[in-house]
Amino acid sequence: MKNVLFVITSWVFIGCIGAALLRLLLGPRGADRLTALAVISSLILALLVLYGTQEGRLLYLDVALLYDVFGFLGILAIARFFRDKESGERKL
Amino acid sequence: MMSGIIDVISIVIALLACLFAIAGTIGLFRFPDCYTRLQASSLAASTAPFTIFLLSLINAADVAQAFRILLIMVFFLISSPTTTHIISRYAWFSGIIPWTKPGDKS
Repeated sequence: MKNVLFVITSWVFIGCIGAALLRLLLGPRGADRLTALAVISSLILALLVLYGTQEGRLLYLDVALLYDVFGFLGILAIARFFRDKESGERKL
Repeated sequence: MMSGIIDVISIVIALLACLFAIAGTIGLFRFPDCYTRLQASSLAASTAPFTIFLLSLINAADVAQAFRILLIMVFFLISSPTTTHIISRYAWFSGIIPWTKPGDKS
């Protein structure tokens, strides 16, 4: 019963990740792509926590915490890189 | 009795999470501007995972699992608004004018 609930929620989230991937591919500006990337990162984090709870394994939750940290740092670094690239001053 | 109550609450929370995720993804495609898309996508990027964290928290098997989920929730409360702020600041500094209605002067 609860397994079926978790599996249905996982498939809905995977469908949303696919749709956001489409926006990531055809976003007209860089900010749209970053928005889609934030959506994908958060939904994958939710999937990791959901799967870890369903299987009852603690390893998925540790990986989810690290994924949260690195997704945040990755979006920060990508935004910084795009801003430097668009303003034309490459600081190496 | 207790597990029946938890089952009902789990079904309601899972339906809410699916609704939030689908609504945010639809808003990602139907809104015209990157700021409005950011506002719509924050529904799918922060409300839906937080609802899933609540679902996992009331279904946690033992104390270690619940503490890890609480830790993820606390860090997610810090990182998710900061991510949105970083993206909107990048969009503003890269010169994107916010969308207004075609006949609207303000």
